[in-house]
Amino acid sequence: MALKKSTDTTTLRPVEAREYPRDTDGLIAQLADADATVRRWAARDLAAHPRAAAVLCARLTDETDASVRSVIFSSAARLGGSVVVTSLLPLLRSEDPALRNGAIEVLAGQPDAVAPYIEKLLGDADGDVRIFTVNLLGDLKHPNVPQWLAQVLVNDVNVNVVGAALEVLAEVGTPASLPALRAAAKRFADDAYIGFAVDLAIGRIGVS
Amino acid sequence: MKPPSSLRSLPPKGVPGGSGMNRILVVDDAATVRMYHRKLLGDAGWHVDEASNGVEALELVHAQGDANAFDLYVVDVNMPRMDGYSFVRELRKLDARHQAPVVMVSTEAASHDASAAFDAGANGYLIKPARPPDLVLTAALLLGDRTAALKSAEGAKS
Amino acid sequence: MKAASVLAPPVISDADFQKFAEFFHRKTGIHFEPAKRYFVDKRLVERIQASGAENFRAWFVALRFETDGAEMQRLVNLMTVNETYFFREAYQFDCLVNNMLDEIAARKRPGSRIRIWSIPSSTGEEPYSIAIYLLERWAKIEQYDVEILSSDIDTAVLQAAQRGVYSARSVGQLPKPYLKKYFTPHGNDEWRISRDLVDAVEFSRVNLSDAADTRRFRDIDVIFCRNLLIYFDDLSRRVAAEAMFDALAPGGFMCLGHSESMSRMSSLYTMRRFPDALVYQRPL
Repeated sequence: MALKKSTDTTTLRPVEAREYPRDTDGLIAQLADADATVRRWAARDLAAHPRAAAVLCARLTDETDASVRSVIFSSAARLGGSVVVTSLLPLLRSEDPALRNGAIEVLAGQPDAVAPYIEKLLGDADGDVRIFTVNLLGDLKHPNVPQWLAQVLVNDVNVNVVGAALEVLAEVGTPASLPALRAAAKRFADDAYIGFAVDLAIGRIGVS
Repeated sequence: MKPPSSLRSLPPKGVPGGSGMNRILVVDDAATVRMYHRKLLGDAGWHVDEASNGVEALELVHAQGDANAFDLYVVDVNMPRMDGYSFVRELRKLDARHQAPVVMVSTEAASHDASAAFDAGANGYLIKPARPPDLVLTAALLLGDRTAALKSAEGAKS
Repeated sequence: MKAASVLAPPVISDADFQKFAEFFHRKTGIHFEPAKRYFVDKRLVERIQASGAENFRAWFVALRFETDGAEMQRLVNLMTVNETYFFREAYQFDCLVNNMLDEIAARKRPGSRIRIWSIPSSTGEEPYSIAIYLLERWAKIEQYDVEILSSDIDTAVLQAAQRGVYSARSVGQLPKPYLKKYFTPHGNDEWRISRDLVDAVEFSRVNLSDAADTRRFRDIDVIFCRNLLIYFDDLSRRVAAEAMFDALAPGGFMCLGHSESMSRMSSLYTMRRFPDALVYQRPL
């Protein structure tokens, strides 16, 4: 016993012909396998198969294993593009926080593909969807983010949507955001948190 | 003043009014909200620590020994990585020293989330954004801090 | 000759510092206390000037909105200590021999195999530290076959690891008896590690983002992945955390660097608090 270098080829086995086919259709079929490990590996390998983007994302609503879901989201993020975006947008309405937040994380990494949908989402009838869209903006690398947030500050009737927007503006606010910030403070003048958050965001913009 | 939302009381940890400041863990992904809660709770005389999601909160909880275990958790429902309810469920699996009252903070109306809160093992529930007297009074009641409770009730009347 | 105008170095206001600290904490989990102000400001000024930005605001906007993550990586490099040496963050090695291995061994028959994966190997200090700890401080080392696997993406660094020559600074934390036992003096104030230890470690080149590389690692009982993932972008971190989840046997343990946290990577791992350290575990 003691320290042993492995002589067993299974520790570091060379990539060999697999038992299952690893072409696109084979992998898609394995997304529904009874074994979570098989599903996880299929989801992982599908990151190299753009044709499977929609099917991969669709699997999320049926997948109960957190580790498989996690890999599906990662593969979706690696694939990127408009099919991934349209497949994941509906998850903003999901009751499951893991699905919602997983989708937000992937969508936040697709600035150009997601940008066309932002205004409509910020006008959604459901306040929660608007909050989650603002959460998405928090990580989105798109030059319009400050303007989208300013729109929320001026127009949104829901105090928590405005609160979420103020959170992001503390980081990305510019001097151009000041009028919208003052408008929000005025509209929610009796809310202590909004006042606090507006002052903070204004302070972060500074004068430099 | 009307007591806020739903409250299920738990006997407070430690000796009320005893030595050692009460320690509160505020869990919320929004830095501004954490700052705001820190200000309100800190002004009431309590020590406040912060975490930005359920995983970070658990790491912080694990890092506390007997002497500095938290006396209260104020937990946002919607957070990435690990949401508020998942955090509370994991918290309730840990040692007795970490079991302290939990106040959930949510954008949802109480009726929507209340059963989830109780099932997960929470003790209180506030709707966001919490009005300062509501947050402080809820915390004071759950901590068994009579002085702070009276002070916040006074403040709410004015 | 016209006098060259000297630009005053950019000033970091309190608001700038807070904005930066919050952003950095959100992204990495690293928290900068006000006491670290001087440390942080100095490095921010360095990055602002190096990037050619006019002021903090311009630099920060570029950082927040850059799509390739390059400035963020440079920044993280600057803000963290990158030095490697023997017995670095040794409390995790203590945890290994005091708790983790005993729990793993309890699930296996005596004589069976225990696998430890150290990634990145860097120049070898970590896998060799593990080897020394096992030989010197794990009571059950004679009862199990322990395999130490160690990987890095950089072949030059792997070669250095297999050469096994170290500076006085690198071995500075080693108790003198261990230095004497496992090293011989080499050249000018350097030390060469014993061939037995070099031969005991299985080195390999691995890119954690490449499934073809990581799928070769299975049934690992303990992974040390310290001070690597902090330099990855968000997506690569997730992918790596997921790959290592699959490499681990159920119940296997994972150790990150002391300023790293799963809270910025993945929620798949459970947490285990041992007297010496907080570690992560793949659920049984």
